[in-house]
Amino acid sequence: MSELKPWLTLIYQRPGRLFMGALLMLAALLSGLGLLALSGWFITETALVGVLLAASLPATINLYVPGGGIRFFAVSRTVSRYVERLYNHDTVLLLLTDIRVALFRKLAAAGRGQRRELTGAQWLSRLTSDVDALDTLYLRLIAPTALAAFVALLLFGLAWILFDVRIAAGVALILGIAFLVATIGVYARTARIAARQSDQQESLRMAVVEHLEGFAELTAAGRVGKHGAWLMRQAHQTATEQVKADSRTGWHLAGSNLLINLSAVFALWAGFELFRAGAISGPALVLLPIALLGLAEVYSMLPEAFGKLGATQASAARLNRDCRSKDIEHVPNTIELPEGTALLAKDLTVKHPEHAPLFTHFDLQVATGERVGILGHSGSGKSSLADTFSGLLAPSSGASSSLPCAYLTQKTVLFEDTLRANLLLGAPDTSDAQLWRVLEMVDLAERFGSEPDQLDTWLGNSGSRLSGGEARRVALARVLLSPAPLLILDEPFTGVDAPTREKITKQMDVWLDGRTVISLAHGAEALPGTDRVIHLGV
Amino acid sequence: MTMQALDQRAVRRWLSGLTSGNRRWIQGTVAAGTLAGVATIVQMVFLARIVHLGVIEHAPASELAPYFLGLVLAIVFRSVAQGVQTHLAARCSEQVRRTARRQIHQHWCNIGPLELGQTSAGSLAREWIDHVDALHGYFARFLPQMTLSLIVPLLILALVFYLDWLAAIFLLLSAPLIPFFMALVGMGAEKLNQQHFETVSRLSGQFLDKVRGITTLQLFGQTESATEVIQQRSDQYRKITLKTLRVAFLSSAVLEFFASVAIAVIAIYIGFGLLGYITYGPSSDLTLFSGLLILLLAPEFFQPLRILSQHYHDRAAALGAGAEILARLNDDEPVFSSSSEETESLKATPPAPEPVSGNETIELNAVSLAFRADHKVLRDVSLVIGKSDVIALTGPSGGGKSTFLNLLAGFLVPDSGDIHLFGMPAGSFAFGWLGQSGFLVHGTWADNLRLTSPDASDVAIETALRNVGLGPLLDCREDGIFSQVSEDGQGLSGGQARRLSLARIFVADYDVILLDEPTAGLDSDSEMFVLEALHKLALAGKTLIFSTHHQALLALANRVLLVSGGEVKDV
Repeated sequence: MSELKPWLTLIYQRPGRLFMGALLMLAALLSGLGLLALSGWFITETALVGVLLAASLPATINLYVPGGGIRFFAVSRTVSRYVERLYNHDTVLLLLTDIRVALFRKLAAAGRGQRRELTGAQWLSRLTSDVDALDTLYLRLIAPTALAAFVALLLFGLAWILFDVRIAAGVALILGIAFLVATIGVYARTARIAARQSDQQESLRMAVVEHLEGFAELTAAGRVGKHGAWLMRQAHQTATEQVKADSRTGWHLAGSNLLINLSAVFALWAGFELFRAGAISGPALVLLPIALLGLAEVYSMLPEAFGKLGATQASAARLNRDCRSKDIEHVPNTIELPEGTALLAKDLTVKHPEHAPLFTHFDLQVATGERVGILGHSGSGKSSLADTFSGLLAPSSGASSSLPCAYLTQKTVLFEDTLRANLLLGAPDTSDAQLWRVLEMVDLAERFGSEPDQLDTWLGNSGSRLSGGEARRVALARVLLSPAPLLILDEPFTGVDAPTREKITKQMDVWLDGRTVISLAHGAEALPGTDRVIHLGV
Repeated sequence: MTMQALDQRAVRRWLSGLTSGNRRWIQGTVAAGTLAGVATIVQMVFLARIVHLGVIEHAPASELAPYFLGLVLAIVFRSVAQGVQTHLAARCSEQVRRTARRQIHQHWCNIGPLELGQTSAGSLAREWIDHVDALHGYFARFLPQMTLSLIVPLLILALVFYLDWLAAIFLLLSAPLIPFFMALVGMGAEKLNQQHFETVSRLSGQFLDKVRGITTLQLFGQTESATEVIQQRSDQYRKITLKTLRVAFLSSAVLEFFASVAIAVIAIYIGFGLLGYITYGPSSDLTLFSGLLILLLAPEFFQPLRILSQHYHDRAAALGAGAEILARLNDDEPVFSSSSEETESLKATPPAPEPVSGNETIELNAVSLAFRADHKVLRDVSLVIGKSDVIALTGPSGGGKSTFLNLLAGFLVPDSGDIHLFGMPAGSFAFGWLGQSGFLVHGTWADNLRLTSPDASDVAIETALRNVGLGPLLDCREDGIFSQVSEDGQGLSGGQARRLSLARIFVADYDVILLDEPTAGLDSDSEMFVLEALHKLALAGKTLIFSTHHQALLALANRVLLVSGGEVKDV
């Protein structure tokens, strides 16, 4: 359960709200129980009085109190249930916001090395379902469990008061077993399947994505049907496991219902002894079993929630893993930046955890205003070097210091937002005229000038409306807008054709006058203007 | 096609079409549910009888014992029927989802790789996995419950009618009002529900978008403001949703209200009847048995309806997911019937076609293709390519090079004209294809190559990998070709992935190999290996056709075609 702890802490940050929600649930449940139990009591009482009256024996009955009670419960049940549902759904949405915000903060705080592998579409969609699993934890599981236990205690008390402690204990015992069957029992029998389920789902998702990515190749090879059939089998296997878990949950639900009904039977059977001994009245004898039957309403919520608990735990564990911060926080050895220097790297060792170092004893000094190009074939560690310069990746030894920098990462990242919002990320106070100037520079002014929405053009799904080269240029424009004195550009021209590249290079030189630029690329032709070029790994 | 544009009725029709092969599971679920309902009625009869005998007639324990036994048996039977019901329901949904997945996959095969590439693999996978799973509740819970919420109340009503027709009329009066009100409120709620579904997906989309770009936000120092945006949007959405829910929950409140009032009215009516205060109607015949039984049955009368309204969101979820699936299925081609035999068949391997013309050449006859009416990508192209030719396609980007390759692959069908490769229609036999991005699956090197050539020998696989320059990489892995390629594509650069794809082509020994910009975006190492590999394939007498701008590749070709302005000409 430890994996749930951080999320439970988050949920319990709103104790008043949770308590209020549970109280409303209790009110709704008790109204339902009260309505039936009181009605049963009332009918038995009237039947007994009716028998006496029919025999012309003197008998009186107070009709107002039970009649009023029945009417009250009928209304309070409706009202409390409506309010409860509304209130608790509000709570769920609040919790969803809390969880998303907390998760985002944690992810932002976690090291980038951690996140490196976590950028695929699969991971993102998994993240959504994992968050969804957590946000209903309170409404589905915590509140009903607490409620079931509490109401069982209430009925234990009621049995004690109306009947005697022996019978109350018997009822409590049966209800206790029902509680275990509906909660821990389900959990124990489904946790492993449920936990495995999400892993299977993930590998299935990966397999489907691979299948789709290779669809052209597979079609060409005439293998798409075979591979598709294999996928179908995988999916079927996952579904079969789910059927197993669902059936088990169903049987536990039936089992707990059985026990609750049996507790009513037991109360009735044992109550008759007291009734015959004259210790309790007929109406009281009827009241308790009927109230017990009403318990099924809350107990029947439990098995499904506990059947999913294993999966919820797995979700929580994954989220915890995703946003685990780096084990050892490297305190970067800062070195003094000499006057007139934009970047200074001394004796750097760059390595990823559990990999051989990419660089050792790497030294570099870049003067302000200098344009440095760094060349290296793919896999030579260019991007890791750029990450180190920009501070995203801590060097495992040595030190690097630089002026504040703007960094164009190798991967183009645009947000589902307007062109303007995407550009303003670099410099929030830029005027429209300035935006158009920078668009002009990356040769996109014409492209967006012809769009009806101009700067408000929506960059759809990950900027998918743009071609790769266009998206790259938008990302470049964003970095160029930044007022930072140092720019680090990793493969700035991916997907940009040669004539455009030359045009941009020329205009950039003017725009960046006086600023320092470090650009990295796989070939000299992919670099903007440079004063000197460093070759990596030769 | 948007969700709104899709007729809801079409979605429902599609959903019910899915059940056609799985009727017996649904029927079994309903039967088990009905039995559970009957057992419940029997249980209540015993319960009321025991109370009546014990309280009014002061029956001794020995006389009550058989009734208690009957009561326990009824309860046990009810639980067993309930358990069977959930089991059958789970099986039913399993079958239905299988059918749906098969349909979607069939659709993928029908539209072909080019069209499929227009949508991200992630969202297609989401449809295939998550959207199909969203149908679960509808088939496992909602659909059987629809029938049950008719059968069980009717059974109870019949019994109550027999006991006391006036009480039955109370139930009857409230019962038809419930569906009426629920329909009234439900109509509004359904629309809202769907809106809700859309808002949720949009919102989580926005959240994910921010997560995706978290490093970029960090670099620009914008994580804090992004967090605020997430918080604000979430909150906004919460407020909108609550408005929706206020109405949506009314339907269940109406049901709750009528159920409660009916129980209260019946209890009071029975009480007064038992006291003898009511002098007309059947109430003079009421006993504690019949009175208590009616009271115990009253909540059971409403229970199936209540369950149904709880499962209402299953229906909404299924309709929402179904609409998206159907929108995809309807994208351009009619949906194939799921039950047809051809579901597993392939577009890529129709029955062996009759050779039409030259068996030794690739021929295009007056081929035209337009994506938009005003812009023909290819206009009346006729061309003959000889066997073992190495053809380079050049031309401006957007000039139609990729289209030309896709036509040859059979991924695209020309508007007019025909294409034959060695006498067979395009796409009717296995060939080599190398797209812009390499493709690898989670598994070993051998798995990856056997994907397209299942019978390849270990030696052939290793040779192929060495042919594309992946030898050094293999040598540093412990298990050679049986070591894992990588996790999530890590450890393989884009160039290496493309070389892996090329290795597949080496193993498979195809006659025709089509390559779309095989060297674009490669680092110099990979580029060198790809060039060398293509050279080897050319020497082996393969017919190579590739689009390129690369000088070295152009030099490799023995014929260069310029694809531009709708024409394909020799250079």
